[in-house]
Amino acid sequence: MERERLEFDVVIVGAGPAGLAASIRLKQLAAETGREFEVCVVDKAAALGAHSLSGAVIDPRALQELLPDFRHRGCPIEEENLQDAVFYLTADRAWRLPWIPPFLHSGGAFVASLCRFCAWLGSIAEEMGVNLFPGFAAVETLGDDSGRRVVGVRTGDKGVDKQGRRKGNFEPGVDLLAKVTVFAEGPRGSLLREAAKRLGLFEGRMPQAFETAVKEVIELPEDSPWLGSPEAVIHTFGFPLGLRTKGGGFLYRMAERRVSLGLVVGLDYTDPMFEPYEEFLRFKRHPLVARRIAGGRVLQQGAKTLPVGGWYSMPRLFADGALVVGDSACTLNARRLKGVHTAMKSGMLAAETIAEALAAGATGPAALEGYRRRLEESWLGEELRESRNFSQALSRPPASRVFHLGAQWLSGGRGLVDPMPIHEDCAALKPRSFREPAPVGDLDGTLYLDKLTGVYLSGTRHEEDQPCHLHIPRPDWCTTRCWEEYRSPCTRFCPGQVYEMKRQPDGRPQLKLNPSNCLHCKTCEIKDPLRNVLWNCPEGGGGPNWTIL
Amino acid sequence: MNIVVLVKQVPDTESLVQIAADGVSIRKEDVKWIMNPYDELAVEEALRIREARGGTVTVVSLGGARVQETIRTALAMGADKGVHIQDPAAEGGDAPATARILAAALKTIPFDLILCGQRGVDEDNGQVGPAVAERLGIPHLALVVKVELLDGRVRGHRLVEGGTVVVEAPLPALITTQRGLNEPRYASLPGIMKAKKKPLEVKTLADLGVDPATVGAAGRKILVQALKLPPTRKAVRMITGETPEAVAAELVRVLHDEARLI
Repeated sequence: MERERLEFDVVIVGAGPAGLAASIRLKQLAAETGREFEVCVVDKAAALGAHSLSGAVIDPRALQELLPDFRHRGCPIEEENLQDAVFYLTADRAWRLPWIPPFLHSGGAFVASLCRFCAWLGSIAEEMGVNLFPGFAAVETLGDDSGRRVVGVRTGDKGVDKQGRRKGNFEPGVDLLAKVTVFAEGPRGSLLREAAKRLGLFEGRMPQAFETAVKEVIELPEDSPWLGSPEAVIHTFGFPLGLRTKGGGFLYRMAERRVSLGLVVGLDYTDPMFEPYEEFLRFKRHPLVARRIAGGRVLQQGAKTLPVGGWYSMPRLFADGALVVGDSACTLNARRLKGVHTAMKSGMLAAETIAEALAAGATGPAALEGYRRRLEESWLGEELRESRNFSQALSRPPASRVFHLGAQWLSGGRGLVDPMPIHEDCAALKPRSFREPAPVGDLDGTLYLDKLTGVYLSGTRHEEDQPCHLHIPRPDWCTTRCWEEYRSPCTRFCPGQVYEMKRQPDGRPQLKLNPSNCLHCKTCEIKDPLRNVLWNCPEGGGGPNWTIL
Repeated sequence: MNIVVLVKQVPDTESLVQIAADGVSIRKEDVKWIMNPYDELAVEEALRIREARGGTVTVVSLGGARVQETIRTALAMGADKGVHIQDPAAEGGDAPATARILAAALKTIPFDLILCGQRGVDEDNGQVGPAVAERLGIPHLALVVKVELLDGRVRGHRLVEGGTVVVEAPLPALITTQRGLNEPRYASLPGIMKAKKKPLEVKTLADLGVDPATVGAAGRKILVQALKLPPTRKAVRMITGETPEAVAAELVRVLHDEARLI
C-alpha cells in the first residue's frame, strides 16, 4: 500500500510533559536563532492531556526555566503554598512523622491536574506553531535500509475490524518522516519496546522497575472539615501494603472542593493473590483517609504505571536519529515522588541538543550524544544520581531497608551497595502461594466503586470493532501454567477488569479479554509472570478520556 | 452542487457532566467537546455527494471560540470552507433563536441542499433543522437514512415503525440525518494539516442583520427551569458460584429472600 509521507524536522511521540516541553523548547530555540523547525507531536489520546495521570505535586523548576511567565499564561494551578504531612498507617491508626525528610518537602511546589496541565502546555505549543495531532497513535518506528537509523514513525491505520479487514471508513496510517524522532511515550512505550530491541537501547542497563498507581478525584461536601485544614498534601506509608511491599498513598487537595487521592504499589510484590485495586479500596477505608473524604463523590478514576528504576535503568538516551525523554527514559525521581519536572527538563535538554544538531546539519549518534552529557551535567542528572539506589533499597526487606536508605542519604545516593541490583517485576511472584481473597466491604457506587464503575468514570472508550490490542503469544499457558502456578494474576493486577477467567462447561478455566476496558496503564505487560502479554496501541483516539486527573 | 452542513459542538457523552451552580446549565469546564454525532453523518453524506457530483461543502456553526475546533474537524474530514457565527449576544439562546440565526446566515450562502443532524445529543430538541427549513421556506426531510439525488429533486428514505417511507422534495431542501445513513470517515492527519489552511469566515449578528434582542438569552421563549442528573445506579452485584447450578440457586435465593421479587 502506498502511504502518504509527511516530512518534519522533528517528530515527537507522546504529548505528555516531556514531549510538549521538548516541542516548546524547540520553537523557542528556532525563534532565538532565526530558524524554522517543523515540529510534529502525535498522541494516542483523543484530546490533549486525556492520557496523562499523576498526583500531581509539581516542582516548578523546569517550568520556570521553560516559561518564566507561566503564572500569567494561565498555568492551571490547583493549590499552592503547600503544607505537608507524612503518616505511617497501621490497620486502624495513623502516626504522624514528627520530621519530614527535605526531599519530600512540597514547599514551592503546586498541586495540579496533569490532564489540565498537559492540555495547557499543548495550547502554548500550538500557539507557537507546533503541529499537534491528538488521536493518532504511532505504531511503528521507521528505519533506513541499514536499520540503524531512525527516520520517523508510522501512525496506525484506522477503520480496521476485529478480523483485520478494512471497514468502509478505512483510513490508512501515514509515515511521519523526521530528521530526529523523540520517544516520549511515557512508561513502557510500545514503540520504544520494539525500537530498543533493534537499537540495543536497554543493553547493559539494570532492569526496568515500575509501580502502578490507582487514582481518583473526589468532590467533597461543602462542610467537609478537611477543606479548612492547612495540610494540603498528605503522604502515607504502611497500611494497606505493610512494609514488605513498596509504595504508599497520597491525598492532595485541589481547588473547587476536590481532592486527588491515590495509592501507588510497587510491582515487585510477591503475592500472586494480591490485587492493587483492592488495596486502593482498603486505603480509602482507613480512618485517616475515610474521615477526610466522607460524604464525597468520585468524579473520575484512572490508573497508570510509573517507572521507578531511575538512573541505572535509564536506556541509552540516544540513537542514530532518535532520542528518548521523560518516563520513557526513566527520568522520574522516585525518592521525591515527582516526575513531571524531570520529564520536562529531559525534553528541554533533548530540544537543545536537537536544535544544535539541526543547525549543524548532522543528526547522527555523535551529534545526539550531547543530550546524555547535557542531562548528566544538569540539575536533573544531579537529582537522579542522588536517588539512584532509592527504589532498589525499598525493594529490600524492611529490616535492612532503613540502613540502606540512611547510608544513601549520608553519601549522596551511593549507600552501602552501588549500584544496588534490582530484579524484573515480572519475576517477583511466588508460584503456588494461594490464599482466599479478603473481603473489601460494601461498595456504594458513589465513594467506593467497583472496578467497572471506575472504568466508566475514566471515560474509557475504544472502537469496539477493531483488532485486539493485547497480544497473548501463548494463550494455552493462560489455562495451564499461569492458572496452575499463579491463579491468573492478570485478573487481579489489571485495574480495568480487562482480564477475566471464565469456566468452560467441562470446568476448565478460559481467558476472556475485555480490551475495551483498557486504561492503557500497561501493568499487564510489566507484571505478567510468564511475559505472555504484549501491549500494542489500539486505534488512535481510544482509551481513557481523563480531564481532571 | 452547493451543499451546506449545519454542525453543533456538544459535550462528549462520556464526559464528566456536572450541573453548574445556577442549576439550569452544565459546567463547561472539564468537558470534552466533540462534533454532534448526528452532524458527523451529515458531513459524511455531504462529502459523498460532492465526490459523486462535484460542488462545494460549506460547514456552518454557531457558538463561542472553541466551536472552531469542530468546524476544523469537518474541514479535516474534507469540507471546503467554514462559517463560524460568533457573537456574545447569540449565547444562551433556545432552538428557535438558533434557527433564526442560522437561517439568516444561509441567506448569505448559496445552497442547493442543506444537511444537519436530526438532533443535538446535548439538549435533544430536534427543532433546529426543521425550523431553519421553515424560515427559509424550503421543504425538509427528517430522519433520513438514505439520500438519493434526482434531477432537481432529492429523495429520502425514512425508517418508521415496521417499515420504510420514501419521500421526495424539490431542491433546494433540508435533510436531517439519522443513524444508519453512513459511517463517517476519520479526519486524516494530512486532512488536519490541510484544514489549517482552508477558509474559515467569522460572522457576527450584525453581519447577518439579526436583531440581538430576538436571539440569545434575551430572545429565549423556552426557559430551562431545572436540570437534574439521573439517579445514581446502585453498584451491580455479581452472583458467583462454582457451577451453573450453584449460580442459579444463589440467584433464586437472592431474588426470593433479599429482593423479594419472586
